[in-house]
Amino acid sequence: MTQENISGASPSLSRLVQELNRLPGIGPKSAQRLAYYIIRLPDDDAYALADAITSVKQNIVFCEECQNLTDASPCQVCSDPRRDRTIICVVEDPLDVLAMERTRSYRGLYHVLHGVISPINGIGPDQLKLQELFNRLTRDDIAEMVVATNPTLEGEATAMYIRRHQGREDIKITHLARGLPVGGSLEYTDETTLSRAFQGRQEI
Amino acid sequence: MARPKTYRCEAVVLGYSALSEADLLVTLFTRHQGKVRAIGKGARRSNSKLVGHLEPLTVLNMSMVHGRSMDIISQAEVINSYATLKEDLIGIAKGLYLAEMMDGFGAEANANPDLFQLMIDTLRVIEADPESEMALRYFEYHLLEVSGLMPELYHCVECREELEPGAHRFSPNVGGTLCLGCSPEDAHLRPLSLRALKVLRLLDRSQLPEACKLSIDDNLSLELKSLLSTAVTYWLGNEIRSNSFLEHLRNETLPEVYS
Repeated sequence: MTQENISGASPSLSRLVQELNRLPGIGPKSAQRLAYYIIRLPDDDAYALADAITSVKQNIVFCEECQNLTDASPCQVCSDPRRDRTIICVVEDPLDVLAMERTRSYRGLYHVLHGVISPINGIGPDQLKLQELFNRLTRDDIAEMVVATNPTLEGEATAMYIRRHQGREDIKITHLARGLPVGGSLEYTDETTLSRAFQGRQEI
Repeated sequence: MARPKTYRCEAVVLGYSALSEADLLVTLFTRHQGKVRAIGKGARRSNSKLVGHLEPLTVLNMSMVHGRSMDIISQAEVINSYATLKEDLIGIAKGLYLAEMMDGFGAEANANPDLFQLMIDTLRVIEADPESEMALRYFEYHLLEVSGLMPELYHCVECREELEPGAHRFSPNVGGTLCLGCSPEDAHLRPLSLRALKVLRLLDRSQLPEACKLSIDDNLSLELKSLLSTAVTYWLGNEIRSNSFLEHLRNETLPEVYS
């Protein structure tokens, strides 16, 4: 049932509920709760929220280098002279860049694909920022590319596609190690993960 | 008598999508219950006992709990992950093409063990030879057969006369092959060469390994691909989206460095 059908709700409130209902993971009930929460907010807080949404839509652009979302292109990472410009880490989404940065162990550059090849969902190579990646590899002095797509079937397919099409002989292509998660259990680990963990075993 | 709260099943994973913060909504095709959509609770967390098990094109032994609206996966044990197939991009693309067709034709709560067996047999053949196109044609033809939509290949569907050797026409709309003497109004009507008819009949009466040994030229291969994918799309009612990626890989020009 749409909010338009609810009798007694004002048109502006119904519109807000409808818009919130379009957000991922927000059902009709959650949308109503959020809408009433926003109504009860002090004016300044509510306008700050609206302003943040307007601002993000007006100011966010793709970084011309890494295709990450940024306020100014090139982004902070790409314009930082302290970053190692010979290594590039290819990730699926902007959130993956944040996860990598939290590790504080990677000081190279990134390239954000904005998705993975997902044939069943009709997402092919042309819908991703792959051509931009291949252009960077041709143009820049990159020595190593770390393909950090998720270890899912679609992530692996995307990694294979990149390897097939990257077009350079002299580049080292790696992916992140596969194996057991910290806090995981051998008993419940699937065969593929366990065999890869064996392949990547390390001396202690 | 109340149905048991839990059940076990053998299933192949067709796909999944994210559900809430950490859950997965998994589409399975089971051997004895048909298509099942089930929830993998916490399956997106890296230390979940289900993680790694629910990747598409994996055959599993599963324990399930009946839920109010959807069943919940309580345990999963891998029978075959087709690990070699998943190391080949063409193999993955073909496997996903099969999975999408199976998702489209499979019905929930409608057991079709023959379709389940067809899927795992075809995956095994593609794993051994990812370049095999005949495996896809065999799957498409027998997908129609086990779904009750087998095209007529021996008699004209209009006049019921036995088909003479020669060129004929084919339409999924009327259920198969037509002789040249019959010309119903049908937008889906298309030419069918004698060679293509012979290969279709071979697919009809042979087992998968035997059919995959057949070597045919490119023109005949294209005719069969077009004919069967038209029939599958007609009955499915929409395009098979993964076919465009498969076509992309078939037609791609690789850089010289790729070996």
